[in-house]
Amino acid sequence: MKYIRKNFRTYKLHIIKTKKFKTITIRINFRSPIIKEEITIRNILSEMFTQSSKNYKTKRDLTINAQDLYSVGITTSNTRLGNYINLNFFMNVLNDKYTEKDNFKKSFNFFTDVIFNPDVDNEKFNKEKLDIVKDLCRKSLLSIKEDPAGYSVIRMFEALDKKSPISYRMMGYLEDLDKINEKNLYQYYQKVLKNDLVDIFVIGDVDEEEIIKLVKEKMTFKTLKKERMPYILDEVKPRNKIKKTKETINNNQSKLVIGCRTFNMNEYEKNYVLSLFNVIFGGSSDSKLFKEVREENSLCYTIHSVPNKLDNLLIIRVGIDKENYEKTVSLINKILISMRKGKFSEEDITIAKEYYKTALDDIEENEYRLIDNYFMMELINTDSLDEKRKNIDKVNKSDIIKVAKKIKIDTIFLLEGDINEKN
Amino acid sequence: MKKTKLKGLDLEIFEETLANGLKVILLPYENKKNYFISYATKFGSTITEFKPVDSKRNIKVPTGIAHFLEHKMFEQENGEDPFTFFSKSGTGANASTSFDNTQYICYGTKNFNENLNYLLNFVNSPYFTAQNVEKEKGIIIEELKMYLDIPDFKLENKLRENLYQKNSRRIDIGGTIEDVEQITKEDLYNCYNNFYAPNNMFIIIGGKFNIEEALEVIKESVSSKEKVKLPKVKDIKEPLKVTKKEESFEADINIAKLAYGVKVPINDISITNKVELDLYLSMLVALVFGSSSEFRERMRNKKLINSLYTQKETIPDYKVFYILASSEDIDLLLKEIKHEFENFTLDQESFERMKKVWIANEVRMTDSVDSYISNLYDDIIGYDKVITNRIDLIRKMKFSKLQKLVKELDFSNYSIVKMVPKEK
Repeated sequence: MKYIRKNFRTYKLHIIKTKKFKTITIRINFRSPIIKEEITIRNILSEMFTQSSKNYKTKRDLTINAQDLYSVGITTSNTRLGNYINLNFFMNVLNDKYTEKDNFKKSFNFFTDVIFNPDVDNEKFNKEKLDIVKDLCRKSLLSIKEDPAGYSVIRMFEALDKKSPISYRMMGYLEDLDKINEKNLYQYYQKVLKNDLVDIFVIGDVDEEEIIKLVKEKMTFKTLKKERMPYILDEVKPRNKIKKTKETINNNQSKLVIGCRTFNMNEYEKNYVLSLFNVIFGGSSDSKLFKEVREENSLCYTIHSVPNKLDNLLIIRVGIDKENYEKTVSLINKILISMRKGKFSEEDITIAKEYYKTALDDIEENEYRLIDNYFMMELINTDSLDEKRKNIDKVNKSDIIKVAKKIKIDTIFLLEGDINEKN
Repeated sequence: MKKTKLKGLDLEIFEETLANGLKVILLPYENKKNYFISYATKFGSTITEFKPVDSKRNIKVPTGIAHFLEHKMFEQENGEDPFTFFSKSGTGANASTSFDNTQYICYGTKNFNENLNYLLNFVNSPYFTAQNVEKEKGIIIEELKMYLDIPDFKLENKLRENLYQKNSRRIDIGGTIEDVEQITKEDLYNCYNNFYAPNNMFIIIGGKFNIEEALEVIKESVSSKEKVKLPKVKDIKEPLKVTKKEESFEADINIAKLAYGVKVPINDISITNKVELDLYLSMLVALVFGSSSEFRERMRNKKLINSLYTQKETIPDYKVFYILASSEDIDLLLKEIKHEFENFTLDQESFERMKKVWIANEVRMTDSVDSYISNLYDDIIGYDKVITNRIDLIRKMKFSKLQKLVKELDFSNYSIVKMVPKEK
């Protein structure tokens, strides 16, 4: 595997040359500081690219053309990373070796054409398509509670800190949806092209020179941009008294979500110690939470915890019967305290390290995760996979105890299911 | 071992059936670090009544037993938790139950031989006690309740209930809560002893490992398990007619949902090869309702679908097609679907294009060990063998054959379920 990074001033190109995959995958990332009121319009914009383009007037035409290019996959997504919002364009296509000469080149041209040559006339997006996209967006916003697990996490974030980007709904907001029209959408598109930071990642068995030539030809931006804000959110002190809120829902199962603040951690603690802490605490099927809450007390089917170092948080999620709320919360609290007291073994640490290293190996087997890894290296200076392999071994028990003391429960949210039916 | 080249995929597959009947399928990858192992039995949720060879009477077990058994296989007599064992080498493990099979998997990058041996051993050594069976009920009931809260899941279950008169797919894989509460350790042993026999099981391995060593570990580990005469599973004949033609129920949702299921008899169809028939039927669905179909474009423009997906399943004597959609006007959508079933047209250009897509996807899939292994897994469940020449089969598909097939299909036995928002 060879990594090449080119800074073309208005954007950066990253090429990861590897023979591991039969496909070539590209990710183009546009990012800017997140603004709550712009989430919805950004979602709509990202959907518009997949509905039509100047050259392919319907979604069906776009799909047929993609199929003709040996099923090139083009998708878009919007995600938040700390203080930033990312608009991602993905392309995945078989290497020419498995298709025909120039199929990759044609696919790349199609991909960039979709991004830079949208269905716009007189500085307006196609209204008919916009109506379709807005309608779809409205319906999915209305169906938000159909995914109780996801909804409960959103609600916990809102209870945790209403002002912070943590609480922003990435699905967007109905009230912002109504304000979007074909004209201001185009203006927003221009703003993205002009202001957003751009990185492009290419992974596969590719020719470096060919990629540079292709990319330079298709990607031209006029403005130089710089990062205006750090990626990682400012630390917030955890509440002294835990905030507890709930909402009832017409469901059988209740979803318990616990938000913990992490504080005063240095880079090493965040990147390594916290990861190991989490594997032992609640990140795997061999964790303390899984064993004690599920296996020993039969209180749940799903339980896990996940750290988010960009937001300085650790989230615990459990599906329970509402009758068991108090019992579950106090059990989880007890397990957290026992972690602070060092009630875990050297073997637990060794196992967690193996788990972590396998996860690193897994990254290398997946083109999307590999890109993500290089992306994080670019954004927040994380270590390379090889450095991570070395550094993880340095973590010892007292490090983990120290980190456990820097995690505090802040907010507890219960999405309380108030029915009890039999299937 | 029998070696077969997977043409166009740069891979070779090795197969052997051991003396005790266990089927072994190995798919080594040169350029991967990871491996994926699946050890499975052809015992799923639909078997709830059977007659062991040495018995005169049928044994009836509660619904959800296969899934319960899957959970309980992780219990070991020495008290060791398999998850803990696998974790020691950073290996992941899991299990899942379907209508017609149950599988136990592990995946990782290290300790291949030990993990393979452990996986086989823990599935081959049941340890059920009254106490550990009782303890599991709370966990499983929470799992069932979790699914009950997912509207799409409820809708699909309701459709199966209304579509099938006799087939056990009428009941969810997890069983009813009432039945799960009744399950005993005797029920579990009864099922285990009858269906977890080597001649009812298979193992598939893909990724980075040594073939000779893997085969040796398998042989050594399962050699003590003997071939048994499999019980006679109660033969349930599914009638042509559906249970209920149409039903509507209220739910706590904002956008209505529609489920449309068709039971299509296949015994008198001219394509008799199962693999080929599935290819042609999937082609039909892709052309009529797929992402590049005219139907979808029309529905999109009329803002009639929020989401729409199709599914196909096989039961004795039938193929069953599902359409599951959410829409603000399900009655109009329903009209459109019915109209499409009666009036769809097929064109050769799209047919040829779709073949190209499928071949490309077949190649692409091999990049991920677990997706390709799960593909081979489905082959064994569906056809009792892995299909090593699928690309060739796709290439040879003929438009005229599809046209002929369409004329033989009877789409008239359908059932409709509507899930509508509660009045507020």
